[in-house]
Amino acid sequence: MSSKNYNLNSTAGPAQKTAIWPALRKLINLLPEQRGRLYLALFIMVLYSVLTMLGPYIIGQTITRYIQDKTHRDFSAVLRNCGWLLLIYSVTLVTVYLRTTLMGGFGQRLLFSLRNAIFNKLQELPVAFFAQNKAGDLISRVNNDTDKINQFFSQSLMQFVASLFFITGSAIFLIALNWRLGLAALSPALLMWIFTKFVSPWVKRKNAANLKSTGAMSAEIQESLGNFKVVLAFNRRDYFRKRFAEANTHNYSTAISAGIANNIYIPVFGFLASMGQLVLLAYGVYLITTVHFEVGFLISFFLYLSYFYDPLRQMATLWSSFQLAIASWDRISQILSMEPDLVTLPAAEAAPAVNGADGSAAGSALLEFSDVSFHYPDGKEVLRHNSFRMEKGKTYALVGPTGGGKTTTASLIARLYDPTGGTVYLNGKDIRTYTPVERSQKIGFILQEPFLFTGTVKENILYGNEQYVNYSDEALTAVLQQSGLETLLSRFDEGLSTKIVSTGDGISLGQKQLIAFIRAVLRNPELLILDEATANIDTVTEKLLEDILRRLPATTTRVIIAHRLNTIENADEIFFVNGGEILRAGSLEQAVDMLLQGKRVS
Amino acid sequence: MSQQNQQPTKSHTAPPGKPGSGPKGPQGGPGAPPGGKPKGPNLFALLKPYKGMVILLLLLSFISNGINLWLPRLTGKGIDAFTHQQQDMNLIIWKFFGAAVGVFVFTWGYMLIQTYVSERVARDLRTRLAERISRQNYAFLQRVSSAQLLTNLTADVDSIKMFISQAVVSLFSSIFVIIGISILLFTIKWQLALCVVAIIPIIGITFYVVLIKVRALFKSAREIIDWLNKVINESILGAALIRVIHSQQLEYSKFLEANAKALGLGQRILKTFASLIPVIVFTSNLATLAILSLGGHYVIGDNMSLGDFTAFNNYLTMLIFPILVIGFMSNIIAQASASYMRISGVLNAPDPVEKGTLVKELDGDIELKDVTMTYGEKKVLKDVSFKVAAGSKTAVIGPTAAGKTQLLYLLTALNQPNEGAIYFDGQPLADYQKESFHRQVGFVFQDSIIFNMSIRENIAFSETVTEEAMNRAIETAELKDFVDALPNGLDTVVSERGTSLSGGQKQRIMLARALAIQPRILLLDDFTARVDTQTEENILANVRRNYPGLTLLSVTQKIASIEDYEQIILLMEGEMIASGTHSQLMATCPEYVQIYQSQRSTSHYEQQELQSK
Repeated sequence: MSSKNYNLNSTAGPAQKTAIWPALRKLINLLPEQRGRLYLALFIMVLYSVLTMLGPYIIGQTITRYIQDKTHRDFSAVLRNCGWLLLIYSVTLVTVYLRTTLMGGFGQRLLFSLRNAIFNKLQELPVAFFAQNKAGDLISRVNNDTDKINQFFSQSLMQFVASLFFITGSAIFLIALNWRLGLAALSPALLMWIFTKFVSPWVKRKNAANLKSTGAMSAEIQESLGNFKVVLAFNRRDYFRKRFAEANTHNYSTAISAGIANNIYIPVFGFLASMGQLVLLAYGVYLITTVHFEVGFLISFFLYLSYFYDPLRQMATLWSSFQLAIASWDRISQILSMEPDLVTLPAAEAAPAVNGADGSAAGSALLEFSDVSFHYPDGKEVLRHNSFRMEKGKTYALVGPTGGGKTTTASLIARLYDPTGGTVYLNGKDIRTYTPVERSQKIGFILQEPFLFTGTVKENILYGNEQYVNYSDEALTAVLQQSGLETLLSRFDEGLSTKIVSTGDGISLGQKQLIAFIRAVLRNPELLILDEATANIDTVTEKLLEDILRRLPATTTRVIIAHRLNTIENADEIFFVNGGEILRAGSLEQAVDMLLQGKRVS
Repeated sequence: MSQQNQQPTKSHTAPPGKPGSGPKGPQGGPGAPPGGKPKGPNLFALLKPYKGMVILLLLLSFISNGINLWLPRLTGKGIDAFTHQQQDMNLIIWKFFGAAVGVFVFTWGYMLIQTYVSERVARDLRTRLAERISRQNYAFLQRVSSAQLLTNLTADVDSIKMFISQAVVSLFSSIFVIIGISILLFTIKWQLALCVVAIIPIIGITFYVVLIKVRALFKSAREIIDWLNKVINESILGAALIRVIHSQQLEYSKFLEANAKALGLGQRILKTFASLIPVIVFTSNLATLAILSLGGHYVIGDNMSLGDFTAFNNYLTMLIFPILVIGFMSNIIAQASASYMRISGVLNAPDPVEKGTLVKELDGDIELKDVTMTYGEKKVLKDVSFKVAAGSKTAVIGPTAAGKTQLLYLLTALNQPNEGAIYFDGQPLADYQKESFHRQVGFVFQDSIIFNMSIRENIAFSETVTEEAMNRAIETAELKDFVDALPNGLDTVVSERGTSLSGGQKQRIMLARALAIQPRILLLDDFTARVDTQTEENILANVRRNYPGLTLLSVTQKIASIEDYEQIILLMEGEMIASGTHSQLMATCPEYVQIYQSQRSTSHYEQQELQSK
């Protein structure tokens, strides 16, 4: 039960190899219910290929029998065969349409499921995952890499599969018509295969490196632009330029290598295809002179050969976008393979339920830490063997120097992390046995860094609130009035309908904190944690917030982390958190003393 | 047929008066968009600095395509040579081999150059953009938004890169191939050629019509993808909140809505394309039929050789692809043009005029005269006037959204006031050379801004910082113990958004960053919010000791720590309500008294702390 390493860039081993077929199978398995459609699409494609292959055969026959052979020339027979061809072509028309809609539809659905799977996984993963990965890198993975796969699916997949069928079909016809000539003309394809086999790991590596540097570059841009005001205020415009130039140059060199790698297929494939034609020409002419082989079939052969090599060359073009898609898929599967570690334990596996320390039932203890320790994956220890209890309806304050472990303690209470040792009990039961729904109903947590979604104030305060979600503005205002929250809304120009842009500068940090506060209080939790939740709010407004907190139901437990002493002076109990220890401070005076004497250990 | 041809022909240059003139016109059909879109900056002008490279590129691709065109001709000759029992078979085989090698070499050559040129252009464009952006002021960034600039630097540059790496060569070589094949076919047998070449306008026009439809769909697809990305981004940035509230289901349904829309649109695009492909396949099949029947007729009547007949078949397969390529490229070109237009907007944004030339060592006198500042429609500051004496301590207090932070942004020249003026040492702020000004004014921002670099680089962020100045700043910000406890000390890299640091640690690093430039004026924005009282007291005492004569202007919430300040300014909803010392305000300003009362219960302890020092 150690805290897990979720760093995507460190778990990725050096240039791990992903075989193509398992990767494809894994992708297709995202869509089990679409199998039937896929098979139908494949059948239509086979039909289409066979029909297309029949064309050159009939043409060859016609030429041999009725055009080339001077003794049997018969133009009406030529026209008759043309009629047959027209019939075949008409059927082809229908199959082409079907194969596009069926196969393309499958690709679109696959993409849809893939996006869903990624998003689902992102939602399953714990806070630790997001703390250990750069937001910019994650966003690049999810957006750009899905887009690369998208491009492949919507533009190349169909051609890719169709090409495969054409290649197989024409190869069969070539060998069936004359196996010696067929094999000879196909032999360059073997070289193509060997060549691809050798080259493609290198190509893939180059592309992966390029994708990685692209991700790094966009993370770099995001950081610099997001922090532009510091760059300006400290005269470091050159910092932006320099950091960017570094990322840009690196990206340039990886892109060039990737480009060189991607461009190797087309000329080589083109050359080998020409060699196929050459072999056909030379050997075909030789066969005609020595064995009984008709010139008409040589023309069919040329057609089949172009049915064979043209798709192969197209595949060479598509191959790079395929490789790109596979590289993207690798980066995405990395996310998909992450397992959330905060699973809900069945009661049997959890630590036994506790009774009160005195042997009575858990009684009024809402929350209990029993011998809890916590350290980060990098080994940094934050808490060492701590035990304490918090009771229903009381107010607790966590004080201590910055970096002392207050936020970590709060995060363990809300089970954003699991302790690396010991157990956290909620209502006498191991907190890990609660489902996330139960837990989030019972525990409210106002985070240190408030986050708002793009939308309105109303949408943000009702975010995730099932009770009030359908309330009209008036009904909601009435609810807010009851709990005294309504006065806070006067801080916003347009009240409930004030517009908010998630990352914008339009509203102040204090206003953001107000929204986060209203949002949490409206959910009416049993335990409400405020992690410096009012730090940037003026003291007059803060008094209002205190009143609101006091008016919460008598059973609500409050855990307040704050630096301002006035915020915590009404606490029933104060804990001093520092250097891995959570100590009971007794009185406010004692807490102040501890703060004064407490040396920062962190 | 000829009716259809007329329209696109008009916009095109007059075709040569050969038999090929009829079918040549419609090439303008799919090819029209690049020529027919004069609005916006010309994409091709972007290539000017790389002219030599581009010419070489096109030359190589023409040669390689030219040889390629010759191959079916050779094959045809080979077949004829055999049927006519001629003995130059060996020569033909060698020619064929030579041609294949030539194609290989030239193709590879132009592809390498293509990669090189496209990446060069992309890199240079990014550099130019970054250079431009870096010269802009804060107002520009607020106006344009960093999200848009990120798109400019990544997606937009990528689409221009795609234009060069795919469109330029493909477009010209496709036109080259189509014309080349047409000419070759006409020289072989013009009657048959006419039948075959007729497919060019049919496919071209169908393609053009479909593309116009699809382009509108692509545009809405892009919007939906943006929407999808927004949902994803917010779910990543708000990950902690979502887990606290357990609103994953809600996020998922938001996402599902967008994703379902994306699926629907994808399928609509697909349906449109699905109607296109059968037309192409069927039309080219009809051409095959024409060759077989009409060509067969000519061969039977000994009007055409069997080799030429084969050549026709081979050329037909070579003809279809370039037509499609032109269509697809027109799409890429349209996308790239839109991107280039957006990029040009940034590239051509005028440099903020740096009028200030005054370089002077600041004493620290500050004066605001009737400063008004509007943000959007709303006045965030209204006629604010006050003076700060050099070396004094001034506090600005006031409720949330009073305009305090905006005031500090004005004082650091990040924003400019809409009315009124700001003076430093009696000189308007606008007259100062910004670099020298910023070197003397330290600003600790309210929000934690920590760069993804070592602590040393974060603190010594300004270039002028000496080792000694940095150490003094670290000591002043009470960071020494913290830094010493780190395994790598100052060289420990802190992560983006500073997630591995506590709020107070981030705040103190930011203070050290501001102090490290040894400022004459220090501006603090709610610095005390995330730092505990004890540390705050120590830090302020350190500042007084280590930076004598420093002018301090602090936005704060806490009256207890500013009671001894020379001046306290009370700001409410953008207006200056009162100013004066603590005791003056206590006597005259009821709002101030109210704030004081709200904090009074704790002042007892704060006093105790002061005494215990």
